[in-house]
Amino acid sequence: MIFAALFCLLPAKVFYFRSGHQGLAGIPLCRRGCFLLEAVIQNHRISAKLEYGLGVAAEQGVELVGQDLHKSYGSREVVRGIDLTVKPGQVLGLLGPNGAGKSTTVGMLYGMVKPSHGRVTLGPYDVTRQGVQARRYMGVVTQDDNLDPDLDVTGNLVAFARYFGLVGTTARYRVAEVLEELELTRFAKHGVDELSGGTKRRLVLARALLNKPVVVFLDEPTTGLDPDVRQQFWRLVLGLRQRGCGVLLTTHYMDEAERLCDRLLLMQAGQVVDRGSPAELIERTVGREVLEVEGLDSRYVQDVAAAVGSWVRPFSSGFLLAIPDGDPEALISKVEHGRPTRVLHRKANLEDVFLHLTGSRLE
Amino acid sequence: MVWDGSPWGVYAVWRRHATVYQKTWLVNCLLPVSEPIVYLVSFGYGLSPLIAGIEYHGQAVSYLQFIGPAMIGIALLFQSFFEGAYASFIRLHYQKTWHALLTAPLSFQDVFCGDWCWAATRGMVAGLITGLVTVISGAYSWQGLLGSLPFMVVGALLFGAMGLLTTGLAKTIDHVNVPIFMLLIPMFTICGTYFPRENLPGWLQKIAAVLPLSPLVDLLRWPLGWDPWWWVKVGILVVLMAGIAACAYRTIYRKLYNE
Repeated sequence: MIFAALFCLLPAKVFYFRSGHQGLAGIPLCRRGCFLLEAVIQNHRISAKLEYGLGVAAEQGVELVGQDLHKSYGSREVVRGIDLTVKPGQVLGLLGPNGAGKSTTVGMLYGMVKPSHGRVTLGPYDVTRQGVQARRYMGVVTQDDNLDPDLDVTGNLVAFARYFGLVGTTARYRVAEVLEELELTRFAKHGVDELSGGTKRRLVLARALLNKPVVVFLDEPTTGLDPDVRQQFWRLVLGLRQRGCGVLLTTHYMDEAERLCDRLLLMQAGQVVDRGSPAELIERTVGREVLEVEGLDSRYVQDVAAAVGSWVRPFSSGFLLAIPDGDPEALISKVEHGRPTRVLHRKANLEDVFLHLTGSRLE
Repeated sequence: MVWDGSPWGVYAVWRRHATVYQKTWLVNCLLPVSEPIVYLVSFGYGLSPLIAGIEYHGQAVSYLQFIGPAMIGIALLFQSFFEGAYASFIRLHYQKTWHALLTAPLSFQDVFCGDWCWAATRGMVAGLITGLVTVISGAYSWQGLLGSLPFMVVGALLFGAMGLLTTGLAKTIDHVNVPIFMLLIPMFTICGTYFPRENLPGWLQKIAAVLPLSPLVDLLRWPLGWDPWWWVKVGILVVLMAGIAACAYRTIYRKLYNE
């Protein structure tokens, strides 16, 4: 305890240099700026074992697998029987309204929430029992911005890097790399409170990427952000996929799910109601096009839908009808015969899929 | 319970708190420096002329010598407890720091022990600074301060655990005030700190004797006279520390994981 207290009051920084080499951004390759204890530990190069998770995943095809996941809080079952696989270089989306169980599922997958039943594995690790070891290869962007308000941007990342065993120069290199990658270098010395919402989200993502993770969890990462900031964030997510990272994204934005996800799980009330790629889901469930109609009697709309073999759902202040592939004009002319106040003929989207499957909207 | 913590994990969490502390170390050190000076000056000039002396373990000691060790115990108590209670509560409920740490390769034990060790470190820093002030003022000896370090460590860990237990039990930040007013304030007045416990009525002496500050203050007064039952008091402090820490662990775990 005295030793530790002295670290607080009398930082004994270790300064010694290797010859010549310049590291990232001109930082001399030396063991500067770390405490004596950390310099000793760095000799054992804990960090050397951690840095190449992504390489391992790419070579060995390491997947995150969740099998038959259930979670109950008392008598309330919030997740019921979820099976999923996140593969390297793929974005898997969990799409559903608030309260569907998405965040609880993500919590089980990275070991924060203990499943009532089921198993999660990442390569050789059982996440439920070996969560600490598994999280060395994971990056997590939580729904909350739980950044350290007492530290600046660099301080937040350096502190987080230490949890992976990255200290001293190694940590600073990696932090500088990640800041550059996410265009945060100019904010390096800013306090967290000075950052905009979008910049904070990028900082949380930067924190999640420090350890070059095999799989990244993004829990509603763009909620509350401006449209242009969301687009910037999407580019970062697509970049992760290109690098071979597996990404698990939870969202209730159907445009985000359509744009980013290779495969989707539609969730409601803790269960998966359907799964597939966005295009597959739309084609299989709804068809290519739909009709939004207002100002018609519900009996009339149902009769029209039955006559052409379509389906109808209440939508906004009117109805949504799926347009059959064979003869769209038959449906449109019958609808217009009833003199609706508004008709919109458009492409089908995931919200229509969700509405058809569950009877409710995403938001 | 399966132990999946690691020394590095505990250190990394402790180090995060130390880094934050370093940014405001001057302000943080102000209280443990100024408080004993204020008490020593006010009690030294104000009360000492009124009190001829105090008999402690059969020998006469000055009032300043009597209260010097107690002030170290009080600094340990308040700083460790406040860090474990207020700071940990804020990290858990408002800043969600615990949630952030658990996305890293850290176990719950790492985060808990890191917070606990940091609470104890804050107490030790305050206790050492207060001890230095009492030594410089002549109310305590250098040898006494050095010899008291093990007792101070146990005391800091105990009071830090009490703070963490408060974090685990309190529903709102206002509830944190409850143990302060119901336990800490009575403790720091009646546990033989500013006057001998023997001056209290019998029933209050019994209550004061079981409060954890009493054995700690008795142990810190070892330069004034060796207590033959010192090992019992150390045992009481260690058992209380372990028990309260276990309760704190359980309550915070349940709160964090909703189980």
